[in-house]
Amino acid sequence: MNKSENLFSTILASSAHDMKNSLGMLLNALNSILDALPEEHLKKSQSNIGIIQYESSRVSSSLMQLLSIYKIENNQLAFNPGYHNLYDFVEEQVLIHMPLIEARGFSCEIEIDESIEAVFDESLISMVISNVIGNAIRYAHSKIKITAEIGEYANITIYDNGPGYPAQMIEMAGDYIQGINNSTGSTGLGLFFAQKVAALHVHGEKSGSVSLQNGGPLGGGIFEIAIP
Amino acid sequence: MKKPLVRYSQKKVLIIEDFPEFARSLRGMMINMGSKQIDVVYNGLDAIQACKERKYDIILSDYNLGESKDGQQVLEELHSFNLLKSNTVFIMITAENTTAMVMGALEFQPDAYLTKPFNGNILRSRLDKSIHKKDLLAPISRMIKKKQWAEALELCNDTTKENPKFRMACLRLKFACLKSLKKYDKALELTTRIVNERPIPWAMLGVGEIFYAKKELERALELFLDMTQEFPMILEGYDWLAKIQYQLGQPIEAQKSLERAIERSPKALQRQKLLGEIAEENDDLGIMTSAFRQAVKFGRNSAFASPDEFIKLTKSIGKQLKGSTNVDRKKLIMEAESTFSKLNKRFKSDPGTQFRSAVAHADFGSITNDQEAVEKFISTANKHYKKIEEHIGAKESLEITESLKQLGQNELAESILEEAVEQYFDDPAFIKKAEKLTTNKHLIENSKKTNQLNNKAIQCFSKQDFNSAITFFSEASEIAPNNVNIILNHAQALLKRSQKDADNRQDLQKAEETLKRVTRLSPADNRYARYSELSRLTQLMLQKA
Repeated sequence: MNKSENLFSTILASSAHDMKNSLGMLLNALNSILDALPEEHLKKSQSNIGIIQYESSRVSSSLMQLLSIYKIENNQLAFNPGYHNLYDFVEEQVLIHMPLIEARGFSCEIEIDESIEAVFDESLISMVISNVIGNAIRYAHSKIKITAEIGEYANITIYDNGPGYPAQMIEMAGDYIQGINNSTGSTGLGLFFAQKVAALHVHGEKSGSVSLQNGGPLGGGIFEIAIP
Repeated sequence: MKKPLVRYSQKKVLIIEDFPEFARSLRGMMINMGSKQIDVVYNGLDAIQACKERKYDIILSDYNLGESKDGQQVLEELHSFNLLKSNTVFIMITAENTTAMVMGALEFQPDAYLTKPFNGNILRSRLDKSIHKKDLLAPISRMIKKKQWAEALELCNDTTKENPKFRMACLRLKFACLKSLKKYDKALELTTRIVNERPIPWAMLGVGEIFYAKKELERALELFLDMTQEFPMILEGYDWLAKIQYQLGQPIEAQKSLERAIERSPKALQRQKLLGEIAEENDDLGIMTSAFRQAVKFGRNSAFASPDEFIKLTKSIGKQLKGSTNVDRKKLIMEAESTFSKLNKRFKSDPGTQFRSAVAHADFGSITNDQEAVEKFISTANKHYKKIEEHIGAKESLEITESLKQLGQNELAESILEEAVEQYFDDPAFIKKAEKLTTNKHLIENSKKTNQLNNKAIQCFSKQDFNSAITFFSEASEIAPNNVNIILNHAQALLKRSQKDADNRQDLQKAEETLKRVTRLSPADNRYARYSELSRLTQLMLQKA
């Protein structure tokens, strides 16, 4: 990276940080306004409030992904692998989105053996999985299913019953920046980030990866991350 | 998933959050879970105070607490001052990606991290899981606190069998027990097995620690070099690396290792101090000054601040003024003066520090050719010296003597050195430096004599020959009557002999008398614990006799 690019990405990172803080303040301010509002007003504005909360959490998680990518590229990320129970882990990722899952009447099924564990960086993989679940709620109709298995890799798979991933997104393995498509609202960031995080997980000769498919039991998109 | 139901109405909760808005929303979440006893504080200092007054079951702390201590500092202080229960759950709330916060020591990690924004569901889930885990492991932690390592070890095995889910946490506790029991081979086997499977940071650190404990410095060095490569953000790796490099006679490399850690996280008081000390040895004035400057800065909010970093900062400024004309003299002098006044204010009630500060201040005055200041601070020093009640430490005594000698205050210098030599005769590094400073030849000779007698006595003691041990300890005590170690050794030998003898009253009374000679030992001194244990035993045995 040359000097001016380096400076630019540093500015980008510190701006992302600053924007994230502002967003946090906005949300806090909104929450205290909501606290003070009478019940009937709340009901009337329910869907608008939902939009503000959902969209700001999306912005917030995008900013967080940007920051993490910056840190990965500048060797500033503290990679901290540990053993984690897969059921507990996935359950929490679902809970992050619980208010929205309930509001939209989604069903979310977790099918994971409660005794299995895998080695990964909890906070990084959490950002990936939580982001995928968030997108599934956004694009799918009513159903999400999450499974996890361990063999040579630990595979976490998220199925939904939406329209599935666009063909060109599935094809461009490894080159996710091409996924930028303003018409569908997909920036490719989530996938790019997922790929980066997966690749950080290395064990012996093996390293992590991400794959997309369509179909499966729910007939929609299938996201899978494999952690060695 | 079936988990025991947590009754939040019974739990005492502390919320530490500098934004009142967010504190209120956290409080709301806890009330929704059924909590009734919730305290809210807005900064780190109040948090410590609250924990002194009340034992909490749950602590929710923001990492970022504005100008005050941060959440990690709060957690470390609560640990160090023993203000947490064995099953207190501490949740750290962060504004960004949690791993950025793993900057804190591995040893003092919170039970869980939560990244803002989050909802009540996720808070509850984290709390449920952390409380469940903490409750299960608390009996082990309690035994470890009481130093019942062997029992704790057994309990680790039982707990793993019943709760395979907490296998890793149990292994980590088991490692701590094995290490404390000095069962190094078993401890090494345990961590090596984990690392061979997966390089988990704590286990890797553990392998290196054991190599170090077994004095296999080269292997330890290799391991920590690997570790800093594999986990460049786990900062303890650099600390260990520096320690080992230093001991292997590589101070330049040691300094570089510490610099790498500080590059990643400057907010570490102890690490900055250590860097400053090594840089001083390496004659790297620039790094020395900046390290102590940072140490003073980060010490402002910390309970672990000590006079050392203040004094050392003024010393390094003095060296800069002496060494080069190419510096902003006015600015540096102002910085040193303000450092002295901060030091005197912060350690107002400690005459020892006031004395040390005045001596260093006079020394600084002589560097800036301010004769008036020199005279003023020498007289201040003399005034404080009379009020000192506790022993002056070995390092501090050397520093003070050196300054006083340079200021031409030979008499005071020699008397301070004499006291220190009497106290620390068994520290060869200290004696070597003292020998260079003193003009009194008998002083070092006497200290060597005391050391020989003390060693002979210890040998007799370990052979259970208490009669000879007591004779030698008394002889050593005659040369160095105020030496705390000899007094304690002497008393211990007397107690031992009294246990063998039926008519033991005389030995016990003699032990009591001997211990009474310890009058200037500070509770902060690392010999204090032994002193109070021996005093307690003596009283107990006197009552029974």
